Amino acid sequence: MIKQKVADSIDQLGPSSIRSNPLAVVFILLAVVVIFSASQFPDDGQVGPGFFPILVAVGIVVFSFADILTSTETDLEISEFSFRPPAIVLGLLVAYLLVMPFTGFLVGTMLYMPAILYYSGIKSKPLMAGLSVGLPILLFYIFARVFLIRLPEGIVPISRLLPRLPLVVIPGWL
Amino acid sequence: MVVENIGPALANLADPFVIFLMTAGVLLGIIMGSIPGMTATMTIAVLLSFTFTMDPAHGMMLLLGIYGGAVYSGSIPAILIRTPGTPSAAATLFDGHPLSKKGEAGRAIKASTVASFIGGVISVLALMFFSPVIAGAALEFRSPEFFALAVFGLTIIASVSGDSITKGMVSGLLGMLVATVGIDPITGFHRYTFDMAKLLTGVEFIAVMIGLFGIAEGLRKYSQGIDDDTDEAAQEMTGVFPSRADLKSIMPVSVGSGVLGAFIGSIPGAGGDIAAFITYNEATRWLKDSVPAFGDGNIRGVAAAESGNNASTGGALIPTLTLGIPGDSVSAILIGALMVHDINPGPGLYQDEPELLYTIFVGFLVIYILILIFGLLGANYWARLINIPSSHIWPVILVLCVIGSIALRGNVFDAWVMLGAGVLGYAMRLRGYPLAPMVLGLILAPIAEVNLRRSLVLSGGSLDIFYTSPIALLVLLLSAAAITVPAVRSVRG
Repeated sequence: MIKQKVADSIDQLGPSSIRSNPLAVVFILLAVVVIFSASQFPDDGQVGPGFFPILVAVGIVVFSFADILTSTETDLEISEFSFRPPAIVLGLLVAYLLVMPFTGFLVGTMLYMPAILYYSGIKSKPLMAGLSVGLPILLFYIFARVFLIRLPEGIVPISRLLPRLPLVVIPGWL
Repeated sequence: MVVENIGPALANLADPFVIFLMTAGVLLGIIMGSIPGMTATMTIAVLLSFTFTMDPAHGMMLLLGIYGGAVYSGSIPAILIRTPGTPSAAATLFDGHPLSKKGEAGRAIKASTVASFIGGVISVLALMFFSPVIAGAALEFRSPEFFALAVFGLTIIASVSGDSITKGMVSGLLGMLVATVGIDPITGFHRYTFDMAKLLTGVEFIAVMIGLFGIAEGLRKYSQGIDDDTDEAAQEMTGVFPSRADLKSIMPVSVGSGVLGAFIGSIPGAGGDIAAFITYNEATRWLKDSVPAFGDGNIRGVAAAESGNNASTGGALIPTLTLGIPGDSVSAILIGALMVHDINPGPGLYQDEPELLYTIFVGFLVIYILILIFGLLGANYWARLINIPSSHIWPVILVLCVIGSIALRGNVFDAWVMLGAGVLGYAMRLRGYPLAPMVLGLILAPIAEVNLRRSLVLSGGSLDIFYTSPIALLVLLLSAAAITVPAVRSVRG
């Protein structure tokens, strides 16, 4: 019976079953590239630097192929989703990271917050202003002034104008 | 060994700053868990960066407070609006929501609080007393056994983390592949670094975790509609403590579910959701004549599920701390939190860092006491958090994801890695791939690779070394069974 099911699955394998699982195809292609490139790594026997990536990539090919054979359209929750909103959110995040080396974290976040808040449906101007200005400053103080973590300052380091905190030593910190 | 380490642990915990961190963690966890869609995993991944510069024990107190608090409070929206705040609370709604419809939401939340406390305490005691024994046995393990354990961790996790074992395995293997980027641990060869200095030490797996659990979930939330998930949940609760009759009724089932939940939680991959479903199911079997019937608002059903899911938290830490194999996705992140401080969980930890470990154990007990206190005192307030619209929360979480990944090494490169992982995670979620195995693959890959290659070098390339070690053989056979049994079942339909 199991043999029959496997045989049926192989019979059904075709463009439609591959189309229904494009990510599996992408993973197989990626694994093939990994196998090819890892086989070029210097080899000092069978356990060189390429051994493990090849082993893992072969596993990806095997299980992705098995996934194409066994998965159906009904497995997916894809129809419940609209792609425009996540694309816009992603675009805003990309823009935020692209401008950060120039604006720094503080100003970059002050520019990003109103855009994402507006897109998220927040219309209250006081709330928008409070979150857009207050959150970046709060995070800047926590990370840069308390945790002493270096955050991007940008071309004009405006964040240096913010007043310093009084030095408080917390035992066990740092 | 247990008793002699408790004194120094208590001394560490008496520090006002540590008490503040535990309290802050519990409150943050309760707040986030009370909001539907905000999971313990996501909250911990996003807030992990706050612990980078802390003492490791202090950081763990904050993270464990969030963990326990969020797993507990996921029950509040499950009871009030039939929407579990976290996946762990899914079984709680079977009896919790019917109680709420009868106007007894307060009674259900109080029972859930006490049961969560009982389950949590039992699991931490199990962690405290059993984990040194397991770690002691694991000290005898060599490369073949550790390789076998890493394979077991991946297969068992893939087999229980989603409907499709093939997708779970692909996800785990992709995580392993990402982990091969960087300097080869044995020969020093640069693998897939593309001449980028930032990739020499590999892909920052904490950035990947933040992307997978923060950004991917955020993109998913926006695609579903960001502001349509609020639900009025007004129901005033009187009094603070559960009645004596309710306490008497839930005590035995909470203790039993706590023991079972801790055991289930200790199996790699079986997190709070699986523990809660099994303990709830066992309660319905053992107490089938209970009145009212389970599903019609039986207070013991709430207690069974809630004790079970909280018991999984301490249980999940057993394989995490003793073997370095994460019990669930939260414990995978906790491993990351320790590795930031160059502390590698595993059997050696019990010899090298006993004070840290016992601070974690005793601190986790204190955290459950705080959960009991805040849960009972603040039930009325936590119930109102359900109405916070996600449109107010997600923009803040997205910024926290960015700053959390930048804070890793102080550069924007890791934020790009985080964003890339988020997009990949979103695409995978849409196609039904579970993400937890990917994170576990990232953590398990170095253990698997180094120990596999060492074993093969020791044996001169022969695979004999794996089946001449009884433990390695047994664990590898269990791994094979973890894949083949569900696969055969699925093919048989």
